[in-house]
Amino acid sequence: MSGIHILGAGAIPWGKQTVMTQLQMALAAINAALRDAELSWKDIDGVVAASSRFEGGMGWGLHANEIVQAISERGVPCINVGGACAAGAIAFQTAFSMIASGQSEAVVVIGAERMPKGFIPRPPGGQDDITDNDFIRWVTMGLTNPAYWAMEARRRIYDYQTTHESLAEAVMLMRKNAANNPNARFRKPVTAAEVLASPMVTDPLHLLQICPVSDGAAALVLCSDRFAARAAKKSVEVAGVGIASGTYGDPAHRIPTVGGSLKNGVPHTSEVVSAAEKAMSMAGVEHGDVDVLEMADNTAWHLLAWPEMLGFVEPGQGDWMLHNHKYDLDGELALNPSGGFLSFGEATTAQAVLQICELVWQLRGEASGRQVPNARVGMSAVLGLGANGGSVVLKR
Amino acid sequence: MKTDQVPVIPGLFELNNSSGVHLVGARCNTCRELYFPTTQTCRNPKCARDDLESVWLALNGTLYSYTIQYYQPPALFRIDNWEPYAIGLIDLDDGVRVSGILSGIAFEDIRIGDRVTLGALPLYIDEHGVQRMTYAFFKLDLAASHGAVAQ
Repeated sequence: MSGIHILGAGAIPWGKQTVMTQLQMALAAINAALRDAELSWKDIDGVVAASSRFEGGMGWGLHANEIVQAISERGVPCINVGGACAAGAIAFQTAFSMIASGQSEAVVVIGAERMPKGFIPRPPGGQDDITDNDFIRWVTMGLTNPAYWAMEARRRIYDYQTTHESLAEAVMLMRKNAANNPNARFRKPVTAAEVLASPMVTDPLHLLQICPVSDGAAALVLCSDRFAARAAKKSVEVAGVGIASGTYGDPAHRIPTVGGSLKNGVPHTSEVVSAAEKAMSMAGVEHGDVDVLEMADNTAWHLLAWPEMLGFVEPGQGDWMLHNHKYDLDGELALNPSGGFLSFGEATTAQAVLQICELVWQLRGEASGRQVPNARVGMSAVLGLGANGGSVVLKR
Repeated sequence: MKTDQVPVIPGLFELNNSSGVHLVGARCNTCRELYFPTTQTCRNPKCARDDLESVWLALNGTLYSYTIQYYQPPALFRIDNWEPYAIGLIDLDDGVRVSGILSGIAFEDIRIGDRVTLGALPLYIDEHGVQRMTYAFFKLDLAASHGAVAQ
């Protein structure tokens, strides 16, 4: 085992935030995690924030600094990390390394985000030239993020005869799981007919099959073996953690690229596959050991494709698994018992932290109403812009 | 008088009355890897050299997948008379996979595996009265009726 523990997990309800600022959301999530850990700010000797590009952090991504200045200014090391939608996983890896190096004993990991409405727009500061894929994809064809995944889904329909009903069933499962999660934004169960009657956004994906943007926050308290041994709260040990970037020749047409040179033998979404392999290898677990998978379901397609891509099932088997309830809470591999991004919405820097919070609650048996029976091994997997992959394995 | 037609991103592709429409890529002179868009560096980890030359990519390819966007994309996308449109992922005959607008095909007639060919499509008329064009793909058997440049 790694010698690094999770002592506390905290989150706030996700949705469209009208009252709290980004900083207030961050503080609320951290305070929840500290309460859960039975600690206070004076016990903390490190803060790692997943840096938001939308709000807070004094406009420089200095979210950890802003937090300690608001609450506990006493020399605590502050680290602010990027990683787009995977930033929470990169922050987790950073806190893990700080403690593993012996430099810190108890570190807060925080992701808090207020998202702008609608399609995530292009940020300022690009090169805007003929080598800048993000510039090219917008100007030449207006290729939106969900359209990349729609083309994956359309190809899956061709390759594996995935049906529109399968793509609707994935949403139904997420909503069913979310129904009993007080932090989820969309908690009303839906039928396949309702999913397929929602507006077509980017064929074949309907509105309810694409995760919306949300405002949300989640936090964790990590600590050393020594710290955990004297803490009042029982900890969950981190069994494995991995982050990775992409591999050249990856067959995924990755956001925001417009052109790729594919190579045989490179796994699809290689950054996530590599990160997951690292985390599983460190944890010493096989696919069959994993009881709960919290994975990035930016769309319904992800729920069919990613368990295959990560090696849990054979390519093309996802539809059968879903249809035969193998991904249900009491199935072979419980998929996103939290309800996933489809039920929470995407709060880019917070979502990877939220995935790990859910694993903590599942392994402690505290996920009331959505508890995976006898969950012993939990795993997360997330993807961020820039080919950032992150994965964490927790063991009870 | 005919409006001037200019690529929406100059240098990304060529638009020429005599030679037609061409995507401008790069080829590594050491490992022969092909890139689109063009690049300053050879990204192949097995190749340590950065000796690249500008090349035209293959004009024809096979449709790997596609989508139809039913909502107007945010800026920087700009188009006059927006309406839902198709975007495809095309495996060009030289092995490069590119995305681009699929034009001149009814949505219900688009099929994975379709043979397509490169052309150009008007996006908008800019502040100087210049017609800004993008590259796009057309069904190969319809190409003759469209010509290289859609009017």
